[in-house]
Amino acid sequence: MTGREIDAVELEVLWNRLISIVNEQAAALMHASFTTVVREAGDLSAGVFDRAGNMLAQAVTGTPGHINTMANCVRHFVKAYPIDTLKSGDSLLTNDPWLGSGHLHDITVVTPVFFRGRGVGWFANTCHAMDIGGRTLGAGARQVYEEGLNIPIMKLFSEGEINRDLIAIVRANVREPDQVVGDLYAQQAGNDVGAVKLLQALEHYDLVDIEGLSTLILDRSEAATREAISEIANGVYEDEVKLDGYDKPLVIRAKVIVEDRSLIVDYTGTSPQVDRGINVVYNYTHAYTTYPLKCAISPHIPNNEGSFRPITVTAPEGCILNAQFPCAVGARHLVGHFLSQPLFGALSQAIPDRVIADGSAGLWNTQLEGIGRTGERFAYIFFSAGGMGARPGDDGISATAFPSGIKGVPAEAIESVSPVIMHRRALIPDSGGAGTFRGGLGQEMVLSVDSDYPALHSCMYDRTRYAPRGFLGGRDGRCGELFLSDGTVLPPKGRYDLQPGQSVTLRIPGGGGYGSPFERDPKRVLEDVVQERLSIEAARDAYGVAITVDFEVDVEETAVLRQKINE
Amino acid sequence: MSEEAYTLAIDIGGTFTDVVLRDHASGILSVAKVLTQSPDPSVSVLKGVKEVLNGVSPGAIVRAVHGTTLVTNALIERRGAKTGLIATAGFRDALEIGREGRYDIYDLFLKLPEPLVERRLRVEVRERLYARGEVMTPLNEDDVVKACEVLREGGVDAVAIAFLHAYVNPDHERRAEEIVRSLMPDVGISVSHRVAAELREFERTSTTVANAYVQPMVEKYLARLEDGLKVLGILAPLHIMLSNGGSCSVQTAVRFPVRLVESGPCGGALAAAHYGNRSGYRQILAFDMGGTTAKAILSENGSFPITTESEVARVYRFKRGSGLPLLVPVLDMIEIGAGGGSIAHASELGLPTVGPQSAGADPGPACYARGGQLPTVTDADLLLGYLNAGYFLGGQMELSVDCAADAVDEFARFTGLDRVRAAQGIHDLVNENMANAARVHAAERGIDLNGYALVATGGAGPVHACGVAMRLGIDRVIVPPAAGVGSAFGLMLAPIAFDYVRSLVSRIAALDREVVNKLYGEMEDEGRALVREAGIDDSEIRVVRTADMRYVGQGHEISVPVPLGKLTESSDGTLQAAFDASYKKLYGRLCEGVPVEAIHWRVTVSGPEPEICDVASVGDAGGQGVEGQREVLFSEGKYGTAVYRRDKLGKGAVLQGPAIVEEVESTTVLPPGWVLHVDDTGNLILIREDA
Repeated sequence: MTGREIDAVELEVLWNRLISIVNEQAAALMHASFTTVVREAGDLSAGVFDRAGNMLAQAVTGTPGHINTMANCVRHFVKAYPIDTLKSGDSLLTNDPWLGSGHLHDITVVTPVFFRGRGVGWFANTCHAMDIGGRTLGAGARQVYEEGLNIPIMKLFSEGEINRDLIAIVRANVREPDQVVGDLYAQQAGNDVGAVKLLQALEHYDLVDIEGLSTLILDRSEAATREAISEIANGVYEDEVKLDGYDKPLVIRAKVIVEDRSLIVDYTGTSPQVDRGINVVYNYTHAYTTYPLKCAISPHIPNNEGSFRPITVTAPEGCILNAQFPCAVGARHLVGHFLSQPLFGALSQAIPDRVIADGSAGLWNTQLEGIGRTGERFAYIFFSAGGMGARPGDDGISATAFPSGIKGVPAEAIESVSPVIMHRRALIPDSGGAGTFRGGLGQEMVLSVDSDYPALHSCMYDRTRYAPRGFLGGRDGRCGELFLSDGTVLPPKGRYDLQPGQSVTLRIPGGGGYGSPFERDPKRVLEDVVQERLSIEAARDAYGVAITVDFEVDVEETAVLRQKINE
Repeated sequence: MSEEAYTLAIDIGGTFTDVVLRDHASGILSVAKVLTQSPDPSVSVLKGVKEVLNGVSPGAIVRAVHGTTLVTNALIERRGAKTGLIATAGFRDALEIGREGRYDIYDLFLKLPEPLVERRLRVEVRERLYARGEVMTPLNEDDVVKACEVLREGGVDAVAIAFLHAYVNPDHERRAEEIVRSLMPDVGISVSHRVAAELREFERTSTTVANAYVQPMVEKYLARLEDGLKVLGILAPLHIMLSNGGSCSVQTAVRFPVRLVESGPCGGALAAAHYGNRSGYRQILAFDMGGTTAKAILSENGSFPITTESEVARVYRFKRGSGLPLLVPVLDMIEIGAGGGSIAHASELGLPTVGPQSAGADPGPACYARGGQLPTVTDADLLLGYLNAGYFLGGQMELSVDCAADAVDEFARFTGLDRVRAAQGIHDLVNENMANAARVHAAERGIDLNGYALVATGGAGPVHACGVAMRLGIDRVIVPPAAGVGSAFGLMLAPIAFDYVRSLVSRIAALDREVVNKLYGEMEDEGRALVREAGIDDSEIRVVRTADMRYVGQGHEISVPVPLGKLTESSDGTLQAAFDASYKKLYGRLCEGVPVEAIHWRVTVSGPEPEICDVASVGDAGGQGVEGQREVLFSEGKYGTAVYRRDKLGKGAVLQGPAIVEEVESTTVLPPGWVLHVDDTGNLILIREDA
């Protein structure tokens, strides 16, 4: 573009092309990847960057965990290796949690692209590695050193030659060396596809680089985001949530400051970092802050450097949202997934019709390992979702992840590759918070292991003490629960031996309600009762709706019940 | 051929039903187009058949093939039977919990499709199998009896049965089916191990429920249609188009109606590949662009990629994941919200954007002068000179240049462009959108489009074909003759073919070959019986085996060919080699030392490909005469451009771009730098010279 003008049509065409290219990049990567969460759950990101490392476009993939963490990450690469110091065929990587997306399992590979001998930009992607050594993914570590191998920014390829020393070190440190190294190749293959397609586009459109295009894309996106922010009344909006924490409760406190066309989020007042692996690095805090803001304020504006410019995120050093090296960070999502809640709580004071009530939020990660009946060792990890918060105008979605975009795994898939047995996976009636719009229902799972030996169950669960909150008069969703078949209640972030013949029940929380339950249309209350989502007792107690034994609304009694409540 | 012989094809679309009769001796097609009547389209079919027969003896028809959107529409419009589900205790919510994900990560207000069975009609019974098929808890027959009571009281007309791991061991499902049949003799029953014997309880249950939901309606409709054809004297076997590009007997269609679900566009795809292959092109990107949407599918050597992860009745038509999932083999096709009626507007970023909203047929593009005010792709195409205002649909409809100009001016104003640039922008943007979708589609399947030829059909297809091709690096475009009935013609090309699948997760090195041999044996026996039922002789039956395999630890399987016959010890090496070859083709390199596992075992049993020789096409006569001349704007600039009528171009005619070729159904745009010739089959072959 350097050297010629780009009009509106051409800008739209080229922009769409960039988005198409990063989707091709992601497709190539997902196909070749070994890691189930990458393939099935889309736990990856892929993007294209200008010479200076500004993110121009990002693939539409499954989870916001990497959104913008990769954007910030690439700047560190550009600083360490300016593009003019690199050659065609070079490629870089790191998994440093403080440079990347917050834990060692996420590896970012960054590849410069050269056109006619000159560096024109970068392709980058972040992928969840199957293993990174250390104590396996979990919240239990006290320092990051225990969590696995940490690779500073360095070359993965030099002029097309793989860094053999690095590969040897990786192989010696991880549990599944073939697959982890295989994924590194897959990550490189994705970037290579992106590069080829970008060069074709430059040829097709007769461009020498993407610098001019970059300016236009970033400025447009910034302006559109500022426009969207300007629709929110100026003010300071505050909220806080309480979480179970590792062994003691945590507070996340958010102050959202809207000033004309910019927005500041300040997490001052949030609990300090802890000596277990649930700490969040700043990059990850930034990602899980900008993501829900985008959902509420500007869902249709593409994700790029420009659309982040109007938003500033601050968290004091040493608080759990800006945790400092060398603290442990493995299960940082257990805190990060909750950031949408104080943000939406604060924004509900300004734009109540564009935010949703608290949901179950943090995914419930279940890891079981041990020895199966045939004597083979197994380890299986899967993610499960509770109810989403109710929405202005609609009930919350049951058993569906938010803000994570990760998908669940079928019971049949779990059972066909491991001795884990899922005896039950069902929605929990009455678990959705009452409201004009009801919270999504949580789900119950009953698990055992078909073995003669005990199996180690690592729990990564939250909201067993503090329920997802209802908004604007909506009631809270039901808390999570965790107990054994003999009734023993378990701590939500512990590890213990599940005995042969024993089963464990997980009750994942329901979402909070939205608006007063006494405003809910009695017909919808009746429908919930008929469909066995709500008990007749709860209809009466929580909604003030009387339902007869013949499943009809008792209009008169309902009026009396609701009248009483109003008084 | 001494005796008269004809094939009849009936294609029901949303607006029109096309009936085509093909005379085997001459290859001549007779066509009738009648309005589709709802709710009982068999009425319009019979009307069209009468019309097309026109003196031909009904007894001379040797095969009738039928394609219908009935099943798809019933699921979209929720017009199926009231359906109940009997599920394993603890799992009735599999249908509602789904995969716990959202199909759009930014939309807080997204809607998920309602399950086809309401929660109160999902009844649980005690029974449980292990993943390998052994019994953990025997079927509690009293529970099944009680379930029937609940469902009868609930007034259901159809029952689906889906138990965990029934794809490995169907005993419990079979026994439950017997009980339901004896207690509820009047309801249709669909059982998961027969409808979709694949691992993944949500998707399998969803498929089984959809099958049950549409079955009563399909059964009634096909019975009426068969009777009607018999009354007309047509006794030839009636075959029904399936979504895998094959066809089946009426009995099979009634048992597995969900297999008809995406069969609508299959005929068009088969026809496009056929036309391309006839001109000697083996790698085809079939591209169909109509009024509202564009569709694209890749074909190599006459076969199509098949996906078994399809969905139907999406909440948002172009949003992947927003529909009901179905484990049904379907042609792997993409649909894009880009057509002649696609509306240009300004995005939230203030940039010009086209689609997916469409002006449809009513009011239609502004140039139809039927009250449409918004600028569409057709309006832009008219202003750029691609379309002839006086020869749209062969002159049946006069287009208004003034109305198009007014609409585009309005759009130009708020996007800060002049009229010409705005029109060019709309044309370019829609081309870019379609090319991007095709490019990502190819990338997701590990396919490089280099060397492919684009076959353009649909009213707007040949107008945009070269623009799309250039963006994809494709330099061959084929425009087949008489694209208007391509879809119905394509039905005649569908062989009898049915797919089977069984799941068995196992490493290749530790394969229980006995079990796999048994699975293949069962599937093939079932398939042969079914193909025979459609009137195919045993000697003509073909069997193709594949397995879905991956490296242990990967989440994505690839399709690998499996040899016929019994698997023996030496087969392990064959399977590994076949996997290596397929993997290498897709990803370029192997992962040495990582074990390989198979997940699903598949069989396609089919009859012979119908022999369709040359369709009567163009004569040698006819000139090269220029019909007219007009100013046309290409991206290279404005050209005085010669305009031709297709029906006057004979075989061997050669045109140098820029040129326009008009016919009743469409207009072919040949940009500068391209050359066109008419080949022996009547196809227009467009070749980029400056590539």
